[in-house]
Amino acid sequence: MQNGAEFEGISVHNFSEKILEQVVHFHVMKLSGGFFLWVGSAPVLSNLAVSMSSKYDSMPLSTLVMGDPSNTAPNSLAQRLAKKTKKQVFVSYSLPMTDTSLSLLVENRIKKELELHAEHF
Amino acid sequence: MSESVIRSKQAQREVNGIPTEVVCTEFSNYIFVVLTQYGKIGTLISVTPDSRSNDLSTPTFSTKVLLGKDEPLTHVCAKNLAMFVSQESGNRPVLLGLALKDSSIDAIKQIKEMIKSCQVW
Repeated sequence: MQNGAEFEGISVHNFSEKILEQVVHFHVMKLSGGFFLWVGSAPVLSNLAVSMSSKYDSMPLSTLVMGDPSNTAPNSLAQRLAKKTKKQVFVSYSLPMTDTSLSLLVENRIKKELELHAEHF
Repeated sequence: MSESVIRSKQAQREVNGIPTEVVCTEFSNYIFVVLTQYGKIGTLISVTPDSRSNDLSTPTFSTKVLLGKDEPLTHVCAKNLAMFVSQESGNRPVLLGLALKDSSIDAIKQIKEMIKSCQVW
């Protein structure tokens, strides 16, 4: 990076994992004070939730800015990641929401990546 | 690890002395473009082509601020910056993250060139 410490640029990190016979792709964009995370099996952007901590509540605030409001998966994932990382988190979750065991494994995979490669978030 | 299903390209350079970053990411139903001088996503705007009544008329676009300050200049900048992306990508809607310190015509022109260098569609 040309400007060194003064200017830390956006970085992109991709990883995939076979979870319950299905290849799940992860795409992370590291931003200043937060990150954007997309999860899916096909390259579709079907929703987007944003979450960040507030000093008034122990649980981070979360809102859905795009997609079907009846799908709570992006919101709740964003909220839990915001709580864990203390950052502003954008989440797009494009996997079947009916499958709760899948979403649990997906979340664990993200947490593993957070622990192994914190520099990408 | 296997190659990601999500393609993205990024560029970084100074625009009128301000470090500026562009990240373009391709989804099958959206092009996600982040234009930032703060390292953040900032204002989120969706730029959607209107369904055309006939092929002879010039295409029109709707802009909607999904997150952030909804002011007229935001819509103007968003249309100016994202319309060509939508047209070149087969009329896909564009999700635009806009966080600019300098929204002058000159800066917008230079940033547009940066987007062109990050063509993922």
